[in-house]
Amino acid sequence: MTKQRAAFSGIYLHLTVLAIVIVAELIGIIKLPIGIGTVIFLPMLYAFALGVVLNPNILKATGKFLSHDSVKLSGTMITVAIMPFIAKFGTTVGPQIEAVIAAGPALIVQEIGNLGTIALAFPVAVFLLRMGRETIGAAFSIDREPNLALIVDKYGLNSPEGAGAMGVYATGTLIGTFVFAIMPPLVHGLGVFDVRALAMSCGVGSGSMLAACTGSLVASVPDQKDLILALAAASNILTYATGLYVGVFVALPLTEWLYRKARPNDIGNPA
Amino acid sequence: MSAADIKNTELPAQPEDERKIDIAGHSGLLLVAAVMGLIANWVATGVSPVAALPGMVILYVVSVIGLALARFAPFYLPSVAWVSLVAILITIPGVPGAAYATEKVEALNFLALATPALAYGGLALTRNEFQIARHSGWKIVIVAICVMFGTYMGSVVIADLMLRIGG
Repeated sequence: MTKQRAAFSGIYLHLTVLAIVIVAELIGIIKLPIGIGTVIFLPMLYAFALGVVLNPNILKATGKFLSHDSVKLSGTMITVAIMPFIAKFGTTVGPQIEAVIAAGPALIVQEIGNLGTIALAFPVAVFLLRMGRETIGAAFSIDREPNLALIVDKYGLNSPEGAGAMGVYATGTLIGTFVFAIMPPLVHGLGVFDVRALAMSCGVGSGSMLAACTGSLVASVPDQKDLILALAAASNILTYATGLYVGVFVALPLTEWLYRKARPNDIGNPA
Repeated sequence: MSAADIKNTELPAQPEDERKIDIAGHSGLLLVAAVMGLIANWVATGVSPVAALPGMVILYVVSVIGLALARFAPFYLPSVAWVSLVAILITIPGVPGAAYATEKVEALNFLALATPALAYGGLALTRNEFQIARHSGWKIVIVAICVMFGTYMGSVVIADLMLRIGG
């Protein structure tokens, strides 16, 4: 492909995104009350869904003007396009800095809660679904990019652990935004938890999951918007900073240890 | 999933080395993202791109500084962490210009700014990622949902307890 055609392919990509964004924002937020709470649909969900539908790997028609290169450029654009969002998110912390510091101990300690992936997913995978060493890669973390790199580094990708991590990564990429938009309003509907706790738990180390989680929470509790954004942003920064280290020194060794206890006779266990 | 399926493919597991990124090139792409953000914000909130421009310029500059810090700082933090830290710093009350920055970025709706990234996200899925999702089967989907639910609820329960103890 010549440079010129590559440039055009880029323009088509941005124009496609522009069209998707306009349609998604025109539809707007939809709130669907169901018995136990409210299900909230956000424009970013439609944008992702439209992107998938128009993805040249799915739809032959768009393959004519969206080349392999534009899929690649699109991957780069995710990390670039999320930056103004992350910056905007950060600006919500400054004005609320006193409330954030007041919640400081909770903010720091709740990072341990990210090990909840193991508490829930490990028994389900090992005892209910009878899965093998895929469990280790799948359950030790939320399996976003830094965690995935860690698994690849330790076990390689062509390993059961690598397959488990990749599977959760791909599933999270496809339905993560949806899950994180649905969950918080329903948990809030239980009426048990402090809204600050629901907000700071949104910082799981993924920009899109953070956006979906806080977006749906703000839509259910609009009068607490500033506080929700500030706490979620602060917690997300902590996860960015600590996530990899928790994975290396705590989550992965713990999951490996649990697996050996649960399946001492698995021939795949390293000696 | 067989090992052959995931061989020789482009993987998200090798993220761009942020110590080597081309800041000029990324600043150009960021310009495209900023325009997208302004339009998304316009359709979502009715605030015209002209009115929201000063706020977007602030977010743009913060993002470029964050990229540069990820590239040149003596210790490594991901660029998103730097971007967040710079954004917090410039809006803490008492910091010169904080009131101005806080007021201007108010014109931008945070949800609208996330929409373009998700649209790119849908278009960026590779054939390989669809294949992995398909081959991994229903068990992995269940585990993935448990993982997401587990990390959220784990944090919610601990945070709630801490807030009750701390008042």
